[in-house]
Amino acid sequence: MGVDLSVQIGRLKLKNPVLVASGTFGHAKEFEGFFDLKKLGGIVTKTITLKPRLGNPPPRVVETPAGMLNAIGLQNPGVEKFIEEKLPYLRKLGVPVIVSAMGYSVEEFVKVVERLSKAGGIDGFELNLSCPNVAYAVQQAGQSATKASADSSAGAARMFAHDDKMIEEVVSAVRQVTDKTLIAKLGPDVSDISKMASAAERAGADAVSLINTFIAMVIDVRSRKPVLGNKTGGLSGPCIRPIAVRMTWETAKKVKIPVIGMGGIMNADHALEFLIAGASAVQVGTANFMNPSASIEVLGGIEAFMKKENVRTMKELVGSVKG
Amino acid sequence: MYNEKCEVIENKSVAPRHFVLKFRSKKIAKSVKPGQFVQILCGENSFDPFLARPFSYLSARGPEFSVLYHVVGKGTELMSKLKKGNRVAVLGPLGNGFTMSSELGVRSSEIKILVGGGVGIPPLYHFAETELISKITKKENIYVFLGARNKSLLLCEKEFKRLGVNLSVATDDGSKGPKGFVTALLASFLRTPNSELRTSIFACGPTPMLKAVSNIASEFGVTCEVSVEVPMACGFGACLGCAIKVKTDANYRFAIACVEGPVFEGSKIIWE
Repeated sequence: MGVDLSVQIGRLKLKNPVLVASGTFGHAKEFEGFFDLKKLGGIVTKTITLKPRLGNPPPRVVETPAGMLNAIGLQNPGVEKFIEEKLPYLRKLGVPVIVSAMGYSVEEFVKVVERLSKAGGIDGFELNLSCPNVAYAVQQAGQSATKASADSSAGAARMFAHDDKMIEEVVSAVRQVTDKTLIAKLGPDVSDISKMASAAERAGADAVSLINTFIAMVIDVRSRKPVLGNKTGGLSGPCIRPIAVRMTWETAKKVKIPVIGMGGIMNADHALEFLIAGASAVQVGTANFMNPSASIEVLGGIEAFMKKENVRTMKELVGSVKG
Repeated sequence: MYNEKCEVIENKSVAPRHFVLKFRSKKIAKSVKPGQFVQILCGENSFDPFLARPFSYLSARGPEFSVLYHVVGKGTELMSKLKKGNRVAVLGPLGNGFTMSSELGVRSSEIKILVGGGVGIPPLYHFAETELISKITKKENIYVFLGARNKSLLLCEKEFKRLGVNLSVATDDGSKGPKGFVTALLASFLRTPNSELRTSIFACGPTPMLKAVSNIASEFGVTCEVSVEVPMACGFGACLGCAIKVKTDANYRFAIACVEGPVFEGSKIIWE
């Protein structure tokens, strides 16, 4: 008996619910030798900004128990170079391409998405509202946010995802300029993430993806200095998974739009937790670093589980948590 | 670049807390350049340690390759317990590697100076051995300078001797060779004009050593390639974690050491 793994995310039908998370899969070419990329449900690119970004000073990564911190600082070639150098390859893959886009202000978010839409061949956008490693000066709702200084120290770090009014403002503005599937990527450092998801839903997002990394810190006790060049970084890996599952579960109960769950998925069982908790799809992230084929192994495991448990469609699986 | 469960053939102590780990793998041992590296993942299912660890090749021949590692933390501690027949997830070959004579299109021998410190020595042994196999560089034109904390940590010393190359050593405690840094040996060697042949330096070791070697090379107008070690997550250009500051025409940028390196022209790096 075959199983139907397809899921509908906004205007986009995915052949299966396994995507790869932004910032963990480069622009896909890095992985072409490891498995057939066409098998993925979708690819979310590294975040693209209007202007090129050099990224943060090293060290940028440090290992933690069952996880890691990163503070890359959105190193990327900028939207023009992305269109010229990275997009042609992605378009040819035959897999839905979701571009992760970020701006320092509402206006910049709009500009990036407009420019990418004009370039064509993109199936959806994931708005990175929640990068913990860059400084933005998000002002109160209603005012326009201005670009912060280049210093991305922890004190200056605030993000759109921390304020439901700002989420609503930026998602509504971007909604005006694209008909493609629009996903709002939310950060976990908030008291009620489902409230943030509702704001994105009200503003016209087709889906929410959660969670981004937790803002975290590691200190070298001998030098008494933070290990990362950026002082703080984003915590990811299996250590955050139970929190991510809980947030997925709470959010899926609250919003009608699909939730894309992620956070420390290393294997199919982990992914199934998110799906059963209510996620319509999942993204495999940090696992790609130590096992470049992790996403495809997760997909195989989900399919095997469904066959074994006699689950024929994703609808039967998603949100099937008992009790 | 392959991702494979490789079989351990041997895991042998070669110095205090230093081991040579030999694997069988046709793919990962094939078409390897000295200076390239592998990512070895221990604790795959426990997520502890979480990330794979990068190691330069010590050798890669036929269906076998080996790495020489220093036990410094949880990952290498687990590696030291690996036994013949165990299977481990390995990713490789990764990175660019040193520029070899065979790639330069040169037919006659040039002077190759190899400067290695501590656990940075193994890829230089791989380099010397490969140069000699290619028969372009003569053994009398390879000069090796090794540094270590003490004589028991002078890795690959015997192996270099067996190759018949020129070898000088220095130790921090003076237990073998002059007491002090290997860079002093290099500087005095370059101060003595010895040959009209084109000379280049290849170095791997602690960052302060690489910085000193790179400065000495500029002083004497000699080309110099250094293999850097920086904190790294994926090893194949996906995470952009292993940034290193390099010069550009206008200013600087962050190069990604795992794909653009780990070997860089010493003069391109902004040493901090």
